[in-house]
Amino acid sequence: MNIFFQQVLNGLTLGSVYSLVALGLTLVYGILHIPNFAHGAFFMVGAYISFYVAGDLGANFWVAMIVSAAAVAVMAMISERLIFHPLRNSPALHDMIAAIGLLLFLEAVVQAIWGADFHRLPAPYTTILRFADLTAPAQRVLIIGAAIVLMIGLQIFLRRTTTGSTIVATAQNREGAALVGISPLKVSLLTFAISGALAAVAATLFAPINLIYPAMGHLVILKAFVIIILGGMGSIPGAIVGGMVIGFAESFGAFYISNNYKDIIAFVLLVFILSLRPQGLFPSEVR
Amino acid sequence: MRLFKTSTRLAAGIALAAFMSSAAFAQEVINIGFTGPLSGGAALYGQNTLTGLQMAAAEINKNGGIEVGGEKYTFEIVALDDKYAPSEAAVNAKRLATQQNAPVIFVPHSGGAYALQEFNEQDGFILGAYTSVPEMTERGNTLTLRIPPSFAGYIDTFVKTTMEKSGKKLAMIGGDHEYAKAWASLFKPAWEEAGGEVVAENPMSYNKDTDFYSGVSSALSANPDVLFVGGASEPTALVMRTARELGFQGGFVVMDQAKLDEINRVINDMSQLNGAIGVMPLSSDTREGAKAFVERFKAENNGKTPGSETSYMYTALNAVAEAMKLAGTVEDPKAIHAKLSEAYGSLPSERNPASIDSVDEKGGTNARIVVGYVQDGEIMPIEAASQ
Repeated sequence: MNIFFQQVLNGLTLGSVYSLVALGLTLVYGILHIPNFAHGAFFMVGAYISFYVAGDLGANFWVAMIVSAAAVAVMAMISERLIFHPLRNSPALHDMIAAIGLLLFLEAVVQAIWGADFHRLPAPYTTILRFADLTAPAQRVLIIGAAIVLMIGLQIFLRRTTTGSTIVATAQNREGAALVGISPLKVSLLTFAISGALAAVAATLFAPINLIYPAMGHLVILKAFVIIILGGMGSIPGAIVGGMVIGFAESFGAFYISNNYKDIIAFVLLVFILSLRPQGLFPSEVR
Repeated sequence: MRLFKTSTRLAAGIALAAFMSSAAFAQEVINIGFTGPLSGGAALYGQNTLTGLQMAAAEINKNGGIEVGGEKYTFEIVALDDKYAPSEAAVNAKRLATQQNAPVIFVPHSGGAYALQEFNEQDGFILGAYTSVPEMTERGNTLTLRIPPSFAGYIDTFVKTTMEKSGKKLAMIGGDHEYAKAWASLFKPAWEEAGGEVVAENPMSYNKDTDFYSGVSSALSANPDVLFVGGASEPTALVMRTARELGFQGGFVVMDQAKLDEINRVINDMSQLNGAIGVMPLSSDTREGAKAFVERFKAENNGKTPGSETSYMYTALNAVAEAMKLAGTVEDPKAIHAKLSEAYGSLPSERNPASIDSVDEKGGTNARIVVGYVQDGEIMPIEAASQ
């Protein structure tokens, strides 16, 4: 029972991080209609900024998270203005190439500033919670809790507020939204900001149980792509459920089958789900 | 107008070229090639090995270079990034050999080194392979130098010590990369031969996995006394920390790719590592050459501690320089290779922090190995039989 619970906890932890990253990716996809490859770099930069603020400036973990979320949000908005906006009328391929370029650029900049070394963000809560014979490091519980709060918050923002609804409206029909007076410019800036902030928060939550290094974004971005394909491109519930599916598949696969096969399990699941539902689990709200 | 501009540029170019070649006349430059991971997940490791070469070259150049056949030579390190990929390493090596005329090309990974062994004899360069895979020198390549001693030398001591101190049940959760597989394939039979039992085998992707919780808990459910771990130091540290978090009390066998001091920099509590055996970290090595090297390195790098890969590469380039002097040539790779053993033997201890005393006829180095065992939060040295 204990072992089973450990895997559930682990699946939830991984799933929460994946979902947060995938949410940002899926939101931007809804607006831009391209997969934003630079999202993994936003994740990585988020971790570095938290590391800098919490480490060198000695700030509290939560302050570091807020600063990092704000900084990456601004960075995402700048990249929208400087890179994706000027390319809005060119073929989708150009956006993709630009996104990959941005990814490489950010990685190189981070490596130039902080070097290739591995860094650590100390965990804010190091206690290990024990219930009967179940153990759960506090940081993992924190990741799950924070991710759930954020997802609920995002859902409320998108469904219940006017500003949030403009994003959903633009994703559903760009021209229609513009006709009723929604500014596409504001919406895409806002979407990029949210997506960047989500990546930074996910990275800050995950960093204490992992390491910070320039290539860290590769690990999650590939999985995030699988997740949004699985969940349906552009779908918000799809990103959350997809993240959990992949997280649990990895965690249980690594434990009950073999660690060697855990990625295969996730991808076989992808093939299986897509052959049954080619549109993904939750057909996108985009079109 | 345009023509005029081009011709002035051309003239300037010629003048510059003439200037450079006249500078080169005064002191010849030997290009030493390096191809290794300088970006991506293994960038730190690649950079550490490169630093060793650069430090050696800078010191040799500062002391006036080397004199071979009446000419003065200085060293220039030409480094190319191969992102840890054997195919890119091969392309880089071709470039280094043909464009830069490098008599020696260093590669810090076994995959790249195997790729270069395919053509280093035809292209005429010595392959300086930084990998302790014993097979590296068993393939009949006559121009290979295996820089660190073979890891086969560690296995007996690792098996004996951990079995005695922690117990006979072993779970193997090393990496799933080539190097870790080579280690595991030697370690497992040695453990079983010594009367031990392998209760679980669950290799993990140290460089690609986001999390090690499931893999480690699966291995721990078989109740092992000892865990075999190893990949790059930092992910290895995460694996070991996860094991302790999950309540594991036993010992660790740490593959030589990971270093105990670097692991402790992540975990920040040496007592968590009690019962771990691994190679002696350079910073805890009490031998004279190593101590002096660590101090010099710290002084030049803002107090950063060097790893053993830096010291091995540093020693290797010093040995190459010595071998060129002994062979009386900077170009004939066969003659230089033949003098490497003598060169290593003749290095004074401050230029030989890796304590290598000779090179066998196949190109593998011999060194006095010291193994580190963590007890009560301290790394204790254990003498191992030299291999």
